[in-house]
This record gives sequence, structure tokens and C-alpha cells, in this order.
Amino acid sequence: MKIKKELIKRDIAGDTILVPVGKTVYDSNGLFVLNELGTFIWDILPQAENEAEICRAVLAEYDVSAEEAAADIAEFMARLKELGIL
Amino acid sequence: MKKTSTEPYVSTYLHSKGRRLGLPIAGNFELTARCNFNCPMCYVHMTDAQLRSCGKQELTAKQWLDIAKAARDKGMVFVLLTGGEPLVRKDFFEIYDGMREMGLLISINSNGSMLKGEILERFLENPPFRFNISLYGGSNETYRNMCGISAYDQVKENIRALRKAGVDVSLNLSITPYNKADLPQIYADAVELDVNVRASSYMYPSVRVNGDQYGCGNRLGCRESARYSVAWDLLRFTPEEFEKRAEAMMKLEAIESDGCPVEAGEGVRCRAGSTSFWMTWDGRMLPCGMMTRPEVNVMELGFDAAWETIRKETEKIKTPGKCVSCRYKDFCGACAAVYFTETGRFDGVPEYVCKRAEEIVEYTRRAYEERKAK
Repeated sequence: MKIKKELIKRDIAGDTILVPVGKTVYDSNGLFVLNELGTFIWDILPQAENEAEICRAVLAEYDVSAEEAAADIAEFMARLKELGIL
Repeated sequence: MKKTSTEPYVSTYLHSKGRRLGLPIAGNFELTARCNFNCPMCYVHMTDAQLRSCGKQELTAKQWLDIAKAARDKGMVFVLLTGGEPLVRKDFFEIYDGMREMGLLISINSNGSMLKGEILERFLENPPFRFNISLYGGSNETYRNMCGISAYDQVKENIRALRKAGVDVSLNLSITPYNKADLPQIYADAVELDVNVRASSYMYPSVRVNGDQYGCGNRLGCRESARYSVAWDLLRFTPEEFEKRAEAMMKLEAIESDGCPVEAGEGVRCRAGSTSFWMTWDGRMLPCGMMTRPEVNVMELGFDAAWETIRKETEKIKTPGKCVSCRYKDFCGACAAVYFTETGRFDGVPEYVCKRAEEIVEYTRRAYEERKAK
């Protein structure tokens, strides 16, 4: 899946933040913060074909039900689309 | 005029975490003491001739990038590039682009006069998070008297170009004997340009360039400084906002301030030396750019050891205990840098600032009553 924005991932004492660079600065109001699941998804996004593939990776890593995983992923992906990142 | 400036919403969280863990979340990089302006109240400015004769040298672009990398590895996220005028450096973009690639969120302090042509184009392609532009007056004549250069029209045109492109701009205004009559024009400019203005009629004594002349400065007297502080409030607030603020002040209740974020209590209450540091143009680290101590030479000690030293030395600073219970503590804006530059001691009571705070409350009361009488 293609990330449209120029963002640099930083790890700050256990938190993951995305710093906008280039023209991405124009339409972002500072930094983005990712929680643990968000960070996991962010790292596999470029290689993933679709949400189903992300869901399989999440289920392999975390002890959650398929329904819970799908709901959390859908929410995260919707937020990325809303921000124009995906 | 924009009423607030936008700080990244996670900034407070990161600084809070940084304070707990001792991380340098924000770095201020004073790239040069040189400037194409020559303002009498500047706390750092050196001419080329002074620079040549002082026996010190500006850090190179590589040295700045090495320090930035070390700071980033310790947790730095926010960077302020300042001066002097940082854009007078011919290698400015080598430093700027290198820091951007490190994943740092960069703001730039500038007088705005050089933000045109190729320099402007480069910034529009790769903008900083924000430009903080110092506005020195509301006419070419004021600029000539205060800065030695008639740059008003050019600066305004440059800000207009940045705003048109969508770059975030905030204005810093120092109210001085030279530009005090220009406040209505400056306010009108801020409205036209749709930018936030952080104005202050308080000027720190320039002890970094004037040695031990604590409490001295090319600035307004404390009563006049208070008067113009309230004059700016009358311009920037709606009548309702001003009345609400005045009523709180007359009851000596805390009001919103657009100065540095501070917490109540003794010691250094802002982020200086706790989660932020200041690098001077010649490679020394200070907690804050207004102070001359504690200081550490980063080129000799390395960044990590310098940061730890500054943190520990800053923790030892004690500010005046009597200020904690002062009735005017919420209006004076005093901080460790104020105590130091006004008195030469961190625990000295800064009489100029005390008197100014009392006068601000008094001028506000008078303006409030005059409005009510109308």
C-alpha cells in the first residue's frame, strides 16, 4: 500500500512519531503519534497489498480476535486516509 | 490577526516525558552572531569586524550537523535555527537540509529581509514547520532608525509571499523606544497578513554582548514599558476580551501569557536546561540564550556530557523565594534568565521587572475604567 506523504519515523523513548518533511509540512499541523499497533501496521504498510494481509500479520503477532483486529485496523486505515497519508 | 500560534499538539507531552527522563527534546541553534541588521537592543549581534577580532569562530556546517545528530540520538525532535540572522550563512541550506533529513521539526527565527528569490524558492519546496519573523516597525523610516536598513516594505512583501504559499508565519515584536509609535500600523499589518504576533515591551539586558552590565539595556523605562504593553493589549483584544482580562488582573488572578511556558515554584521553571538547550554560534551550550552561565563547551566535552552537565547545573539554580508569594508574580514574566540578566544573580530580585508588573496592572485598571466610563 502506498504512503503518499513524506514522513520520517522517529522513536522517542518508547513513543513512535512521524515527522513531516518536504511539502507534507504544508498540510500537517506538526507531528503524528502512533501507538504500538499503529507502529506495527506502519512498518508493514509498504509491503502489504491490502487490509486483509495486514490483518493476518496482526493476528500472527498479537493475541486478539479477528473481529477486534479488523476493527482496529479499519479505524487506523480510515484515519490515515482522512489525513491524506494513504 | 491570528490570536494564537499553533504548537504541535504532542509537544507538551514530549516535553513532559523528556523532563522525567532527562531528554533534550528541543534544541536552539544560534548559527551565527552576524546579521544584516544592526539593532541596538540585540543580545548577540557582532559585526564582521568584531567577529574577526574576538578570536572565536563560527561552527562549520559539519560541526552543526554532528551536534544535531548527537542531540537527535538523545531524543531531540524540535529545532529552532536562529542567529543573528541565520540566512546570512552561505551554507545555511547545507545545515537546514541535513537537519530535515534527520527527522527534526524545524522552526526558523529570521528578520525576514532575505526571504526572496532563490532562498524563498528553496523554502517553498521544503518549508520549515514555522518561520518566526521579527518585525521591527511599521515603516521604512522606523526600520532605518532601529535596524540601520529601510527593509519594512521588503519584509512585508516577503511575509506576504510566504503566507500566499501556505507557510506558517508567526511575528515576534520587540516594543522599543524606536518603534513604540508604530503599534497601530504593526497591528494593521498583522491583520492584513493574518499572522499571530508575540509582542513584548520587556527587553532582557544584553549581558552576552555587554559583559556585566546587568539591569542595563537599550529599552523603555519600566513605566513606559508597562504603558506600551497595555497599549498592545488594547489593540489585540476585543473590548470583551480586554475587560475579562482586566477584571482578572485587578483581582490579581493569573492570566494567559504568550511568553515561555513556565510552572510555579522556585528554580528554573521553564524548559531551559530541563528539556531544551541553547547552542551559541561558537559552540557553547547554555540552558537559555539570554544567560551566560551555566555554560559548557560542546566541542571539548561532546554533546552527551555537555547536556548532562547543563541539566545538573540548571537543577542547582535557585530563584528568589520571596517572588513565589508576590502578589504580582503572574504578571511580571520573571524567569531565571530575567533574574540573572537584571541582577547578575539567579536569586536577585529584579526591581525593574517588579515595578513594571505593578504598572501593567495599574495601566490596565485605568484603561478598564476609562472604557467603562464611556
